[in-house]
Amino acid sequence: MQRRDFFKQLGAVAAVAAISPAISFADEAKKLSGPNDLSYKAAVDAITGGKGAEESSKVNLKVPEIAENGAVVPVTVEVESPMTDSDYVKSIHILATKNANTRCIDVHLTPSNGKAMFATRIKLGGTQDVATVVALSDGTFLTATQNVKVTIGGCG
Amino acid sequence: MSSRKSLIKIKPKSYKDGEIVKVSFMVMHPMETGMRKDKKTKEVIPAKYINSVKFDYNGKVITTMNVWESLSTNPVFTTYMKVNGEGKLSVTFSDSTGEVHEKSIKIKPKG
Amino acid sequence: MKGTIKIVLSLTLLWSLSFASEQFSMSDADREMYAEMLEDNPADIMVGNGSELLEEYCGGDAGLAEFLNVSEDELPAYIAGFPRYLKDFKQVVALDQVLQALMSKNGHKPFALKSSDMFDMGAYAKSIANGEKIQIDVDANKHIKESYELGKLTFEQKRGSRGLSCLSCHSSQVIGSVLRTQPLPDLSAKGNAPAATWPAYRMTKSSLRTLQRRFQGCMNNALLAVIPLGSPEMVGLEVYLTQEAKGFEIAIPGLKR
Ligand code: HEC
Repeated sequence: MQRRDFFKQLGAVAAVAAISPAISFADEAKKLSGPNDLSYKAAVDAITGGKGAEESSKVNLKVPEIAENGAVVPVTVEVESPMTDSDYVKSIHILATKNANTRCIDVHLTPSNGKAMFATRIKLGGTQDVATVVALSDGTFLTATQNVKVTIGGCG
Repeated sequence: MSSRKSLIKIKPKSYKDGEIVKVSFMVMHPMETGMRKDKKTKEVIPAKYINSVKFDYNGKVITTMNVWESLSTNPVFTTYMKVNGEGKLSVTFSDSTGEVHEKSIKIKPKG
Repeated sequence: MKGTIKIVLSLTLLWSLSFASEQFSMSDADREMYAEMLEDNPADIMVGNGSELLEEYCGGDAGLAEFLNVSEDELPAYIAGFPRYLKDFKQVVALDQVLQALMSKNGHKPFALKSSDMFDMGAYAKSIANGEKIQIDVDANKHIKESYELGKLTFEQKRGSRGLSCLSCHSSQVIGSVLRTQPLPDLSAKGNAPAATWPAYRMTKSSLRTLQRRFQGCMNNALLAVIPLGSPEMVGLEVYLTQEAKGFEIAIPGLKR
């Protein structure tokens, strides 16, 4: 099926290579359901106990502006924190705001991590905001968001 | 326990006691969402995704994770860890079908 | 008649291309993020597996060196010179074919060239040469010269119902232009040097693939009849593109979209 699209494009007179949403897991992400399918807002409420999270420059969320491939999108979260017993990052949550289940991962840290950082790779069903919510040991929550454009190719 | 292939990497390779090092855990796992169809048989591929991960260092829990199906196939988990004496770092995970797996490496600070 | 169709099709191909910068350009920060992903390449697991397989079936690095009649110290540089003409084989061979022969000599049934175990073991074997510069010598003897010429021919010859050749999409004129969101990659050392970075983890396939397997992917997409792995044409293509990547530092496993 991808091959057919590919050659439709080859034969097309139009010179513009359109950003195509045709990738199997894109449909899959739309259909995702089940016990985990919280919307973004519901997920933030669940994580913060309804308190909400404040945007902060202490949270450095790194995702590509343009993802080469929606199936493997690198995400890195770094938080400024001394990571001592009295002042540390308790958890880092990564959310894909438009995936049917927005929650990707909750990472519970301890002062033994020494540094508040977590990196992984996620699947994105399409262009959307990726967000992180960070829980601090003093009971407050910080957040950061960034948009990721997902362009998907059909060759190969 | 399964023989699922996995790898723990510490960076830098050589480190001192007390140093904060980068730890990556990588595993070959399909991270199937349960919503994808087999292209040939048209049957739904059953869900199978890692749902929890735990890093233990000399019996002490350093980091735990709740995981959902949005992580990529063959996922990578990277964080930091403070080296605190010789010992063992173990990573345990379980997936949505109940499969459990453990991988460990020796921690040997130099000086 | 057939000839005209071919020309028209290559023209439509050019028409459907546009320049990367007009489509979308990746920022430096993005490029850096993708480069950093190499640090934790899932294919490191496969290469680790390949190392165990080489140990089990081929006697490890030492066994491979002995089989190739070189010392273990010389092994990395020697591997950086593959594909080579080997007298015992009476033909130009790629590294995976050497591994098959060694497995068989050690009394094991060789892994198929297209098996994932062979991909893993081959990737490990090539990674022994990591940091070495590609040093293929296509003038070393008449056999490798012929292999190079066959590879060049296979690269340039138009085939299939679309009348496309590898060159249609990989000539210097079209490099960087975009075919359905995919920038057409440069296959030379100045640009990208695939021969130095394959075997690689293919993110779209979630698996480790070899250079010859990648060629097959392009053949499939371009509706060219797929040439079998290890055939003279395939080895020729590998020789041809390895020459294009000469002098480039080997870094296995690569990481590709
Ligand atoms: C219809 C156009 C087309 C044809 C014909 C074609 N390719 Fe490709 N090739 C591509 C595109 C597009 C990519 C990049 C795909 C991607 O990034 O996913 C690519 C990628 C490659 C790569 C990987 C480059 C890298 O970055 O490592 C190699 C090697 C390659 N092609 C070789 C060949 C060979 C050999 C042939 C002939 C058998 C061929 N190609 C024919 C379009 C083509």
